[in-house]
Amino acid sequence: MKTASRILGTALFLDGFEVQDAPRYGAERRGAPIFAYVRADSREIHERGIIDRPDLVVVADDSLCQVPAAGVRLGLSAQTVVLIRSREDAATWRERLRVPGPMLVLPASSTDDDGGESLLGAECVGAAARLLGVVTRDSLKAATGQELERLPEEVRARNVRAALRVFDGHADHAGIVTGQPTLPLAAQEPPRWIDLQVESADVAAPTIHAGGTSVQVRTGLWRTMRPVVDHERCHRCHWMCALPCPDNALLVDDAGYPRVDLDHCKGCMICVAQCPFHVIHAVPEHEAQTAERAEAGDA
Amino acid sequence: MRPEGQRDDKPIRKLKQLPARHIMASGTPMCAGCGGLEAINEAYDVLGENTIFVNAAGCMTLLSIYPYTPFRGSWLYTAMAAAPAGAQGVRDALDVLAAKGKLDRDEDLEVVVLTGDGSAYGMGLSATSGALERDLDFLYICYDNEGYGNTGHQYSGATPHAARTATSRGEHGFGGYKKDLFSIWAAHRPAYVATALAAEPLDLAKKVQKAKQLKGPRLILALSPCPTGWDFEPRDALEMGRLAVETGVWPLKEYVDGVVTHTKVPKTRLPVERYLGRQGRFRHLFEPERDTGQLDEIQARVDAYWDAIER
Repeated sequence: MKTASRILGTALFLDGFEVQDAPRYGAERRGAPIFAYVRADSREIHERGIIDRPDLVVVADDSLCQVPAAGVRLGLSAQTVVLIRSREDAATWRERLRVPGPMLVLPASSTDDDGGESLLGAECVGAAARLLGVVTRDSLKAATGQELERLPEEVRARNVRAALRVFDGHADHAGIVTGQPTLPLAAQEPPRWIDLQVESADVAAPTIHAGGTSVQVRTGLWRTMRPVVDHERCHRCHWMCALPCPDNALLVDDAGYPRVDLDHCKGCMICVAQCPFHVIHAVPEHEAQTAERAEAGDA
Repeated sequence: MRPEGQRDDKPIRKLKQLPARHIMASGTPMCAGCGGLEAINEAYDVLGENTIFVNAAGCMTLLSIYPYTPFRGSWLYTAMAAAPAGAQGVRDALDVLAAKGKLDRDEDLEVVVLTGDGSAYGMGLSATSGALERDLDFLYICYDNEGYGNTGHQYSGATPHAARTATSRGEHGFGGYKKDLFSIWAAHRPAYVATALAAEPLDLAKKVQKAKQLKGPRLILALSPCPTGWDFEPRDALEMGRLAVETGVWPLKEYVDGVVTHTKVPKTRLPVERYLGRQGRFRHLFEPERDTGQLDEIQARVDAYWDAIER
């Protein structure tokens, strides 16, 4: 997404805009949500920092909507266009997220699941550029090539093709992002200050008094692939799969069968690679969830 | 569910003796497929809950972010170069309490320094040498992912020759050579020094158990395959460690009483390119065309190491 924001920024720049683009990370790692902001204006930009009133929000993965820290709905207004990459339709997402403005879906492609190369970033940029309506096809093409200069030529070419394909595919929505007038300073919300009371050090200091509290963090939301153990064919050699699990997310039951802790499994698939009998399968998370919902519906 | 952690102090001989569930809790912010976290999990099981971690700045600093911790006991955060000094303070405090009769023997803690290679091979080496000189009773666990992983994988004193890092982007990658931290430690004549990695859990557990039984400065140096920094798929983290051992790139060995013993000698070593070729950081050695000169040099260095051992 960082690269995607750079491509969009560069494309806008090539079309004569003043541009800012900046990624923002949490303290977390690969797999955790990241944000990237692009600001563009025909005049000099004096604003800095996080964009709190976006004109366009692109959600690259629909699972982000479940993560409060991702803040997908933050600052949405009736003028904000939301584009979400998903297998579900716009009506579903409009309802689910209560989006006040235009809501579009960029269909997630099948290449996401086969472990193949992801063109997700390029597709998001292609769509975003078209929705803005002010980025030319040539600038998008040039910017994509420029920002991916370090990649091998054929990978770069595939990304450029993907960006342009999605750009062309969204001709119907060209210029749907209209932008909102800049609020005068007086009309902007003041910062929400929180008054901290003076407490004694043992209360105020950030001390953790219990062990293992990290179980409350649901790292399972990072997962795009889910390991599914075929217990009928499992040989119960749990030291092959559960022992090397970095997230301690394969719990061994009393009978010796590994059970996946879906709240914490990040989907690294080390267990799938390690199982000597190949009875742990990697299943795309959305398929597993659809199957679960169907099962719950039957019951 | 099976209980957590090491069940007893019996000598570890078989994989099946290792606990089915780690005492380190889930929910850490480490990358999916983190080879360092795997190694720490396995070590922590053997060390047990009566362990205090003194953690220098690095990836693992993020294990404990208020109000969440995966540890069962205490954790202390120090500046990057200061973890062994922090360990000295903790060890001294425990000793003072014990001397005053305010700490029962079963309440005593194993003081464990936990740092990455940036600190262990570079920024913290002076403080480490000082702690070794003072014969501090502590265990040092280094998760070596061969670069400053927490900040985007810039090169460190542990980066191998020719690897691409965020600060060695030229066509030949990193021009330097990986520092021999094992020998630097051994030259101080400490109680124990060992190399290990998560892909050999039994070897790692035996070494941690041995280290736990000794007094004085002890090092477990764990190679930590890093999907993010080395550029490979998270699912291959264990396989990458195995290849490091089978190609002879990462010798498994220990130092006790002035003697270095290799704990696993690959019978026939695989060519190093089997290991290098799986990682994006070495891709420039294979594409667009094969860099035979560099590959031969890396192979020759590995061969020379083992020739010297086997002679």
